[in-house]
Amino acid sequence: MSRFKRIISVVIPLVLFPAVFFYDVIRSTVDLDVPSIAFVREIAILMSFFSLYYYVNGKKTRVKKGIPREIGKLLVITFSVLVLAGIISLMRQIVFVEKGALLVPQGVMGVFLSVLTSVVMGALSIIMLITVRELIFYKRKKGTKRNFAFYLVALIAGCALSLPFLRATDRLAVSGLYVLTVILLVLNSFRQSWIVYLSRREKIYCIVYSALLFFTNMFLSVLLSNDSVPNRLISSFSQSLHSFVQLNAVFGAVYFGMAFVSTLFHLPTAEVFERKQSELTSLHNLSRLVTQVFDFNDLVNTVTQMTLEVIGATTSWLELVQSSPDGGGVSVELVAQRNINNDQIDELMKGNGFSIRQLMAESKKVLVVDDIAGDKRTKGAMGVNPVKGCLLSVPLISHNELIGILHATKDMEYGFDQDDIDVLTTFADHVTIAIENSKLIARSLERERLHQEIMVAQRMQQRLLPQSVPNIGALDISAISESSYEVGGDYYDFVKLNDDRLGIVVGDVSGKGVSAAFYMAEVKGIFLSLSKICASPRELLVRANHTLMDSLEKNAFISLIYAIVDIRKASLVLARAGHCPVAYISKDGFEMVRPTGLGLGLTNGALFEESTEERTINMSEGDVCVFYTDGITESRRASGEEYGYDRLIEIAVKTKESSAEQIRDSILQDVRAFTGTATYGDDMTLVVLKWIGH
Amino acid sequence: MSDFKIHHREGEGVNVIELKGYLDAHTAPDLENAFQKLLNEKHFRIVVNFKDLSYISSAGLGVFMAYIEDVRKNQGDIKLTNMSPKVYNVFDLLGFPILYEIYKEEKEAIGKFKDGKK
Repeated sequence: MSRFKRIISVVIPLVLFPAVFFYDVIRSTVDLDVPSIAFVREIAILMSFFSLYYYVNGKKTRVKKGIPREIGKLLVITFSVLVLAGIISLMRQIVFVEKGALLVPQGVMGVFLSVLTSVVMGALSIIMLITVRELIFYKRKKGTKRNFAFYLVALIAGCALSLPFLRATDRLAVSGLYVLTVILLVLNSFRQSWIVYLSRREKIYCIVYSALLFFTNMFLSVLLSNDSVPNRLISSFSQSLHSFVQLNAVFGAVYFGMAFVSTLFHLPTAEVFERKQSELTSLHNLSRLVTQVFDFNDLVNTVTQMTLEVIGATTSWLELVQSSPDGGGVSVELVAQRNINNDQIDELMKGNGFSIRQLMAESKKVLVVDDIAGDKRTKGAMGVNPVKGCLLSVPLISHNELIGILHATKDMEYGFDQDDIDVLTTFADHVTIAIENSKLIARSLERERLHQEIMVAQRMQQRLLPQSVPNIGALDISAISESSYEVGGDYYDFVKLNDDRLGIVVGDVSGKGVSAAFYMAEVKGIFLSLSKICASPRELLVRANHTLMDSLEKNAFISLIYAIVDIRKASLVLARAGHCPVAYISKDGFEMVRPTGLGLGLTNGALFEESTEERTINMSEGDVCVFYTDGITESRRASGEEYGYDRLIEIAVKTKESSAEQIRDSILQDVRAFTGTATYGDDMTLVVLKWIGH
Repeated sequence: MSDFKIHHREGEGVNVIELKGYLDAHTAPDLENAFQKLLNEKHFRIVVNFKDLSYISSAGLGVFMAYIEDVRKNQGDIKLTNMSPKVYNVFDLLGFPILYEIYKEEKEAIGKFKDGKK
């Protein structure tokens, strides 16, 4: 409510009440009874009280919390007002004079007391009405607002009829309206929904306050019916105000009387309600907590701890279940336990002929043993320190599979009620999700770790390939190798044998991935060491084959080409161990150089050596030599057609005048244009040599 | 890319495996299982017919390498027949013809078994 309105609503009574006071003083001394002024007077009083109502209304915030305090405040105000009324009554100085049907106070003091009593009682009545209204409106139902409005209307009608100029003579109508008003206020008094939400302590306070408010309002109501001083004072001030205060006092008495009775009868069931409330809150908190814990061990320990708290269990343990694939039985892993040892668990679970775990695996339902000692499913659970009381076992079900069981025991028979079962079942659902999450996260972390390892392998492997192309006078060399996965199986390398001679190797390890990379590393080692001691390519291949046979798996092999370029002699000597033929482009034409040879790792011994040829080529200026792996020739387009050898020759011939690098890039571009997509299915390697000459 | 079928028949004391489709890393285990089964049943005279095979990768080649030793140790053999030029080239590049008997026609291979009792 805006400050302006608040100020106005205070100012109006502050101005009008004194005005009325002055008028009343004058009226008591001078016999002035002008109806029109009396009318104005009543209006002034009405307005003042309306303003007061408006003011108090604005001050009241929703009493969602602190109900006992509000009622307590009301009690204090009521009591104070009654004390004031008492004091005033004991003052004997008031002289009353008959005026018509009323007894009217004489003298300034008398008038003052009359105004004072009326204003204070009126204010009290307003405060009480508003407090009661807040209580009634605590939890609104369909008719709440309407019923209260009806009461207000009846109340105001009753008060209106008491106005001097509206005085109804029909006593029946007046009584009828009175009765109607009382009926309405009783109807409204049934709205006691605020009681339910109080804590036990708050309820006890309210019982006391309600009782006291009942008595004080009764007293007030009686006070205003009998010929008491306050009654005379208020009646002479304003009859309508008298009706207002009296009816509201009845309302207060009835309402708080009912509140007293309701709260009293509510006490026994309060405990259950409170328990349900706290269970709900704990369940909510625990479920949230459980889904935040990701570490598996933390999670399962938290779960068992919380089981104890949530249902007040004595012991608790959590088992993970895996049904054996051959449908044999269930294998169970105990992952967390509280207040119970393994022997006790075993004793309890082994059952008497049928195992509890088996039962649960089949039924996938909750299992309750109300009396462990007496139940046939757990009978025979003896042992050194048997578990006593009752057992509750709840299945953890994910995707229709039993993944675990959450157990709890209480050390008294029949200790688990339906609420406990419901709560634990709900909790178990959250636990299942949390466990699945935890597993997924662990798997995800593992995958991430493996991925990191692969990235490391990739980096290491990149370093196994030449970081730069050798600079050796008469040769223009360009090379590239691209793997389809992070780690590939293609290999190429250069080794400077001496100032004149350069060794070149291009190879392909069968398979892909990390194992291929390992073989590649081995081949590099073998190549680098053997190249120093083997004068000819053929000799190197034979010795390499011999070395590799032991470490290669049965189904693994390596294809390799080893060539030695002699700058002085302008010669290229090469041997081929099962690898793709070398494309040799000279100014006359081209050739697919394909000396006989077996792949490495296929056979040991004499057969390999016998089958491996060596070939020598004399190079002329401008000759181009292309080494490659089958990732080039086997690249496919969408139709399934392969790039093949012919296209490779074609593009090499076409670009033979360009530099080695340009030839290399042209071949790559040609392959990509052919396949149409950016991704390749296999590792691709190209080494282009161009003989420049001296 | 992984359509692969194996058809197995028996006749004249020889087991013939017909391969159809693509033999690569994905489908190689199927062929491994077939060979393993034959070995378990002590059938060591095997002919593999490549008539309908469109593609073979190094993984596919590896399968043959894995089983040839055991088969030969038991006086048997795996003979390869009816390869398309493309498939034959793959074997030829690696020098398989030096190690394995490769025939144009299946009956040649079967005949060889009958002749040499191998």
